[in-house]
Amino acid sequence: MTDVTVPAASPTAVSRARRRDPVPLSATIGIIIAGSAILAAMGGSYAALIVTTGVGYAIVTVGMVLQLGYSRQLAFSQSVFMGVGGYGTGILETRYGLNSAESLLAVIAAAAVISFLVGAVVTRAPGLALALATLLLPLFLYQLATFSTYLGSFSGVDGVLPFWNGPTYESALVRSGIVTVVLLGLATGLVLRVIRSGVGLQLMALGEDERLAESIGVSLRQRRLEVFVLGSVLAAVGGAALASAQNIVTPDVLNESAQITLLIMVFVPGRKSIAGAIVGAIVIEYLSTSTAFISTNLDIIEGAVLLLILLVEPDGVAGAVTRLMQARTPALKTGGNR
Amino acid sequence: MSNFLNLLAAGLTSGAIYGIFGACLAVWFRVCNVLNLAVGDFAMIGAIGTAVLVQSSGLPFGAAIVVDLVAVALIAWLFDRLVLHFAFDRSGGGAHGVVGVFFYTFGLSLVLEGAVRALFGTDVHGAPAIWSGPALAIAGFHVQRAGILVIALAVVSGLALWAYLRFTVSGRAASAAGESTLGSRIVGIDSALFRRRIFIMTAVLAALFGIVESPMSGFTYSSGPTISLIGVVAAGFAAFRKPGRAVAAGLAMGVAEAMLGGYVSTSYNDVLLYAILFGIIILRPEVLGLRTRPA
Repeated sequence: MTDVTVPAASPTAVSRARRRDPVPLSATIGIIIAGSAILAAMGGSYAALIVTTGVGYAIVTVGMVLQLGYSRQLAFSQSVFMGVGGYGTGILETRYGLNSAESLLAVIAAAAVISFLVGAVVTRAPGLALALATLLLPLFLYQLATFSTYLGSFSGVDGVLPFWNGPTYESALVRSGIVTVVLLGLATGLVLRVIRSGVGLQLMALGEDERLAESIGVSLRQRRLEVFVLGSVLAAVGGAALASAQNIVTPDVLNESAQITLLIMVFVPGRKSIAGAIVGAIVIEYLSTSTAFISTNLDIIEGAVLLLILLVEPDGVAGAVTRLMQARTPALKTGGNR
Repeated sequence: MSNFLNLLAAGLTSGAIYGIFGACLAVWFRVCNVLNLAVGDFAMIGAIGTAVLVQSSGLPFGAAIVVDLVAVALIAWLFDRLVLHFAFDRSGGGAHGVVGVFFYTFGLSLVLEGAVRALFGTDVHGAPAIWSGPALAIAGFHVQRAGILVIALAVVSGLALWAYLRFTVSGRAASAAGESTLGSRIVGIDSALFRRRIFIMTAVLAALFGIVESPMSGFTYSSGPTISLIGVVAAGFAAFRKPGRAVAAGLAMGVAEAMLGGYVSTSYNDVLLYAILFGIIILRPEVLGLRTRPA
């Protein structure tokens, strides 16, 4: 056998390899600056409330991109964890006197523990069984919330505090909106960090072919559980943000309609696109509440658009845009070489 | 004892409803590996369409049923030609995998719900009773006539679907199409034809069931998804492939729900039932028969 001498990597090369990926941090900062500026410009208007609500949904859909888009984990539990977030903050603030920061941290911790415990068992179930198990969660938790007087029955929990209070309703709305945008920025940075790391590659492999992923050493159960916990915690944060923006949480957040809305927000813009999930959540929330025609015929429009997307471009609007850009890039390169 | 029997009758009635939708889902999934999440919406169209045709258009009840079922069959056929055909019969077209399993019919469900709301509003509708009259007293317990029809229709449909798949050449060909589309096409089985036929058949069956059942509970435009979800659960306990077992699973779920309501809590019976089913799936996923067939 011939000895093969592997040249030692130079310190510069090592440091370059170890250098932090700038994309997650840049995305976080960009979202915070742009989002805060937009909300500040809107003032305390009704549109600002809608956008803040959309940003709350976007925190959830960013997590769904990781779950549904990259690792193809078909779990329908996001609305349940939104309920954990919303009801958690509502109860901690109105019954136990915690402030919004304390309740948010408590909710994140509770969601992490609950999703770990639930995920440790549900992620054992393969494919359709996981989908079936998580389909049952909203069914019985919605009914539990509607019958439980502790959870406020059909009325829910009123008087949820804004994330950041202000002297007037309008100022509190803007400040809370900015906090929600900061949370979205952090969520986006975290998810991008995961996707663009070795773990992200493992998740993509897992999503493409579980056997292949296992054969290259990916721990399926561990990765499934991690994705489930991260998606669930982000859903809880999104639920807390919605409750904070609207000052109330009702059982509607737990029912299948909420889950359907989330799925539409992810599938139409593109289930693999974080930017698409953010813009999609905000735009769909805005359209569904601001335009009488769309809000009246929302089901038909959502259903028709979903079918069109699935047939024409399964990766959604973002997929179509990427395809268009990729089609144009080689032509430009060829032109340049000439 | 009479309380137990009354609960049993109520449970069998609601269980038959769960079971038949589970059977409709299972038989179609067996043929094309896609879940029909619009099955509840077809039932809703059956109930609301017939009610509107009778009450507003003055059509005789029998004619209204026929018109409604033809309309449902037409909708199912159109959906197959306009969506499923392009998604599954053309190479490279549409989304597949877990997305295809759930989301094509989910899109149809949204469209149907929206269309019914736009056309008929948000009121509760119920078709006239096929077998009208007071509840029947049989051996100390009472059962509604519509309930008897529902149970009978569920049992007959479940058995018919099971026998079709088990004993007929057509049924075996349909099952083969679900096992391997390419393989079945090589041996001359038209998988698209079976997919279309069974989709239309289960849509019409669901609509008929909605018509029979609606005098008891009434339907609104949004009744569909809940029915479909419960059907998915019943079908899940039949490995999404065995219609006879789906009817049995649905009946067991209905009886368990009624007993929990009668003996444990009337408010929390559904919560307890779903919690028990959740526990079964998590602790014993092998009961679903899906362990070796990941999606």
